[in-house]
Amino acid sequence: MSNVVVIIPAYNESATIAGVIQTLHETVPDYAVVVVDDGSNDDTAAIVHACPGVKLLKLPFNLGIGGAMQTGFLYAERNGFDIAVQCDADGQHPVESVRQLVSRIEDGTADLIIGSRYVADSNYTPSFTRRVGKSLLSRWVDLLIGGGVTDTTSGFRAMNRKAIAVVAQTYPEDYPEPEVLVILYKHGLKAAEIPVNMHPRQGGVTSIRPVGAIYYMIKVALAIFIDLFRRYTPPKGV
Amino acid sequence: MNVTDVGQHGFYILHRLGLLVLSLALVISVLELVRRGHLKERYALLWLAVSGFGLLVGCFPSIIVRLSVILGFQYLTVVSFFAFLFLMLLVLVFTVVISRLSERSRRLAQEIALINERLERLEKPHE
Repeated sequence: MSNVVVIIPAYNESATIAGVIQTLHETVPDYAVVVVDDGSNDDTAAIVHACPGVKLLKLPFNLGIGGAMQTGFLYAERNGFDIAVQCDADGQHPVESVRQLVSRIEDGTADLIIGSRYVADSNYTPSFTRRVGKSLLSRWVDLLIGGGVTDTTSGFRAMNRKAIAVVAQTYPEDYPEPEVLVILYKHGLKAAEIPVNMHPRQGGVTSIRPVGAIYYMIKVALAIFIDLFRRYTPPKGV
Repeated sequence: MNVTDVGQHGFYILHRLGLLVLSLALVISVLELVRRGHLKERYALLWLAVSGFGLLVGCFPSIIVRLSVILGFQYLTVVSFFAFLFLMLLVLVFTVVISRLSERSRRLAQEIALINERLERLEKPHE
């Protein structure tokens, strides 16, 4: 039985965070839950603090999603967890599928398992521009890492110790999801995906503004390209 | 303005005056910033060197003319171009410094979050 931690990055998610924690406690009571409060200015931290059995990592100021997630990975690494699951605080990620992600890590399918919205029996329908942008980006990443992943932007994922060691050391700052795939690939780790059904957002606002979508795509595509040529210092313990 | 023209007629007096005043203002500003602790000595040195060069050229304009001749520049605009390149290089260096600092502050923030969590666990060992 592996030691699993669910990491929830939260920035002003007071509307939904308690619900997500509650669902996690009900569906996977044996998993540790860590919320990384990314310098929220609402009462996210206070709500999490009041939840029994949940660890709160409170950042002194806003680092952005990348810095927040990495805090969680550092926690997972230092506290000896076998598997880390990344889950959004807005309730879109299907908590009932967490165990599926973990079991695919446990049976050694890959070092990173992504809960994908595009694989056949999933019911995710994003707006047209987002669909085009995401699919272009996914194609690009897929091309670079040699296939196997269609939904590169999904933030619902699980990783093993080897992958945790890498991301605790090197993690992209903003919009990190597609880039992480390339970084792990460069470290010789394997990624795979399973289909999941996303829930509609329960509250809060998306971190990707429509205006920023194109900028986002170009920036990430470029960052990913540079990652291919970057030299990495091997993380400890790998 | 051709380099040799400048050699014959010297700098326009207004240019010299402007350069002297600006350089002097830069020296005073840099020293004051260091005194107040707003500027690190290691960066102050660079700015003092730049303003020192400005003062020198303001006092003895022939320096820049000779320099141009030695380096083979026909026009003073070429000198300005190289000065511009130098400044761009400085800006690049500074953005590298900023990147490193932001990387460090990110790691510090993460460590603080992790340490606080550990501290809380140690203070309430029964949970």
